[in-house]
Amino acid sequence: MTIHFYFSLVPEALIASMLDPEEFGFYYAVGTSRKTRGQAMFFEVDPAYRNPYFRIDEALARCIPDEDGTPKTSVYISIYRVLEHIDLNALMSLYLTTQDGRTLELQPSPEIPNHEKGLHLYQEIAPVSPLVVSVLSPVEFYELIVRDPSSLVTVPAITFAELDLGELADDPEMGLMDNLPYSNSDHLRECLSQVKTKYISTKMVDRAYVPKLQYRTVKNGFFVGNSSQLKYYPMPSQTELRSENYRWFRSANM
Amino acid sequence: MDFNYSIWLVIGIVGGVLSLGVAIFLYFWVMKQDPGTKAAQEVAGWIREGAAAYLKRLYAALTTLALIISVLIGIVFSLEKGVLGAESGSTSFLPFGVVMALAFITGSLCSAVAGFMGMRVAVEANVRTATAAGKDLAGAFKLSFYAGAVLGLAMVGLAVIGMSVIYMLTHNAQAVLGFSFGASTLALLAKAGGGIYTKTADIAADLVGKVEIGIPEDDPRNPAVVADNVGDNVGDVAGMGADIFDSYVASVVAVMLLGATFGLKERLDPTLYTILPLIICSLGILASLLGIQFVRVKEGGKPGAALNRGTIITCVIFIVMLFGLKLAFPIINTGVVWAAIAGIVVGVIIGFTSDYFTNDSFAPVKETSRVSTSGSAITIITGFSYGLISIIPSVIGIVTATLTAYYIAEANGLPGIYGIGIAAVGMLAISGMIVSADAYGPIVDNARGIAEMAGMGQEVIDRADVLDAAGNTAKAITKGFSISAAALTVLALFAAFSEVMAAHGVNITISLRSPIVVAGVFLGAITPPLFSALTMLAVTNNAFDMIEEIRRQFHAEPGILAGTHKPDYARCVSLAAHGALNSLAIPAFLAVGLPLVVGFVLGPDALGGFLGGAIFTGVIFALLMSNAGGLWDNAKKYIETGKFGGPGSEAHKAAVVGDTVGDPFKDTAGPSLNTLITVMSLVSSLFAPIIAAFHLFS
Repeated sequence: MTIHFYFSLVPEALIASMLDPEEFGFYYAVGTSRKTRGQAMFFEVDPAYRNPYFRIDEALARCIPDEDGTPKTSVYISIYRVLEHIDLNALMSLYLTTQDGRTLELQPSPEIPNHEKGLHLYQEIAPVSPLVVSVLSPVEFYELIVRDPSSLVTVPAITFAELDLGELADDPEMGLMDNLPYSNSDHLRECLSQVKTKYISTKMVDRAYVPKLQYRTVKNGFFVGNSSQLKYYPMPSQTELRSENYRWFRSANM
Repeated sequence: MDFNYSIWLVIGIVGGVLSLGVAIFLYFWVMKQDPGTKAAQEVAGWIREGAAAYLKRLYAALTTLALIISVLIGIVFSLEKGVLGAESGSTSFLPFGVVMALAFITGSLCSAVAGFMGMRVAVEANVRTATAAGKDLAGAFKLSFYAGAVLGLAMVGLAVIGMSVIYMLTHNAQAVLGFSFGASTLALLAKAGGGIYTKTADIAADLVGKVEIGIPEDDPRNPAVVADNVGDNVGDVAGMGADIFDSYVASVVAVMLLGATFGLKERLDPTLYTILPLIICSLGILASLLGIQFVRVKEGGKPGAALNRGTIITCVIFIVMLFGLKLAFPIINTGVVWAAIAGIVVGVIIGFTSDYFTNDSFAPVKETSRVSTSGSAITIITGFSYGLISIIPSVIGIVTATLTAYYIAEANGLPGIYGIGIAAVGMLAISGMIVSADAYGPIVDNARGIAEMAGMGQEVIDRADVLDAAGNTAKAITKGFSISAAALTVLALFAAFSEVMAAHGVNITISLRSPIVVAGVFLGAITPPLFSALTMLAVTNNAFDMIEEIRRQFHAEPGILAGTHKPDYARCVSLAAHGALNSLAIPAFLAVGLPLVVGFVLGPDALGGFLGGAIFTGVIFALLMSNAGGLWDNAKKYIETGKFGGPGSEAHKAAVVGDTVGDPFKDTAGPSLNTLITVMSLVSSLFAPIIAAFHLFS
């Protein structure tokens, strides 16, 4: 049986598994006895990838089928500081699994979105998970958080998604929030107004907003970057998802 | 033109046969349509089998009950000669008790057959509608509406045939009362049982599937999904069909009974005024048959507008026919024509005002959606408050129809109460069209479910969504319509009850200065709330059992959630059916037994007060619960369209709570209450002669 490596974002973990990505997503979301549920986001990692920080070969030796021949579901290789140590070139597709186990594959794109006018809302996913508003574009935001030596608040690597702000991007005070499910909307408007009018580029809206990210709010895609590079995983539009991945779309839009 | 009574009865029967014939023709037309892919047929097969299993159990239980009641009626009425409504000179070679028992059985049978036909076609039409939706909207709409028309036309056809034949054979309006009692008894149990079934499955499927496991609606992995879809049929097709059948027949019978007394007091021709409601119904059938032809939609059109257009055109045709009848037969009192028009106009207005409170184009649903952003408590308070307000236009409509019909009748030399009864008949005369539009709703709802479960594709689901939205509107209109018609019907039945009592030497005096009447009023007033509580508790108790079963299946077989193993759908179907039928005994006693207990113990005046109390709280509770439940449901759907945060938002979570609370309001208790008060009024009128003779308190 083929052994896959998965890098789970929430919680951060590097896992070896005999399940293919869809099976792993299902297992990871609902558990072996299907008594639990919870969204999952994970990358598939190049099977040839090795790094002395991770005891990969040791885990491989343990990743063997059960006595009855059932594939091994998971062997945890690391559960701490995975993102900062992993080589981003080893990251293959990103998988988004819904709470009931439907999995969508996103592939990386070399084209990073252009800077758009207006305000931005970023959901940091790993290694920390605040919800942040900003005047910076995704690339600028990544530069500030990961590569700007003058910044007080930095992380060695980051995964984040830009979320849709709708009319709030241009008009935080009066813009409509019709299809935006964010809680505490008054506070969000206030934070957006502050970054718009004051001399600050970012402001934290919520200290820890994940673990449940509503996939439908993802504006353009997921970003993962460290000091050496930034990778971008574009999210298909809602229309594309509805026509091409209907089951996933329904599950993600509950 | 001479007015020949026998010919009119024959015309009534011919009209009924025509309606039934068209229903049968449409049934076979529906069956000829493409039943779709193997996967779709497999899903439809599960629903069909579940529905058939439930109906088999229901009708087996009802057959036993009907036989017991008919034997009791036979014994009791063998001692009674049916003074009221028996035409002078009418003879019967059978004892009156046997006639009444046979009429009761016939009424039950006709109601059952109408419900069965409706459900039979619904469980075949759902998959065909889904398949047709793969081609175009117009074809899918036509198919689902014609399938709904099978129930609508079969129902009115069987009702008119049954009543006309019984009257033709017996010349006794009281025998037709037996027919109506049979229809109502079955309707009450079919409606309440179907309501308990459908909400048990719906709530259990949602609470475990959506809330606990997080799987979407109509997902084939949910063990209760088939029971949920079966519930749409047993509650909204068979149940609603039996419900309207009951109101339709009861309104006619009330007027027949009143008409039959004309020879005693008013010196009017009793035979004419006894068969007049049957004539009006025959015109309503013809109007419905014509109106149905106008219900069409083009690709990209609006099915809801097509259904409303059909209803309005049917009304106009019916009104023109009424005037034509008057012109052709001047013997017919002008008051009858105007009272019937008052009924139909007010009925349509009430129907559309119900839509105002449950349609997301208007303020109540939007406002309830908006306040959902502040949590479920506010959602419930707001929805409940709008539900209370929604009573007002309907009650004003009922009052307007009552007063208009009363004074028009009086001004034209007819007893005012006869005019009220005619208004109810006028309102329900176009039931063929109204029920056709109503039964369309669960068919397209099921079609959407099948499309989802069988993976028929996004285009099919999109079209089914468009069809489904129109079904919800039709459902809201029908509920307002049927509750208001029931209110007028029971007012007429109440008058008929007084007349029966008077014919047996007991003059009903309802004065709030009489403690016995006050006692009756209070006992009557608590009956609808108690009935509502019992049926809703039945839903929660049964849902609790089903939730355990769904959890058990998910835990015992992990492959169900993975989609690699089929759930045991039949187990949930069986649980829902078993639970629903076992929950009916006490509600049935309340409807049939309590009026008799009050009558025999506290006497006729208290029974009069009892009916008055039950009618008033029954109408208010029915309107409140139907409209509040519909409002909560649509507030949730409105948010799901992307308003106030859309799916997954805090507003959505609050609205889901409101919708779950509203489910048994709108589909179990609310719609059963009009049948409850009709059954109680019928029981009282039916047993009035016996109660007049035997009661403890005078």
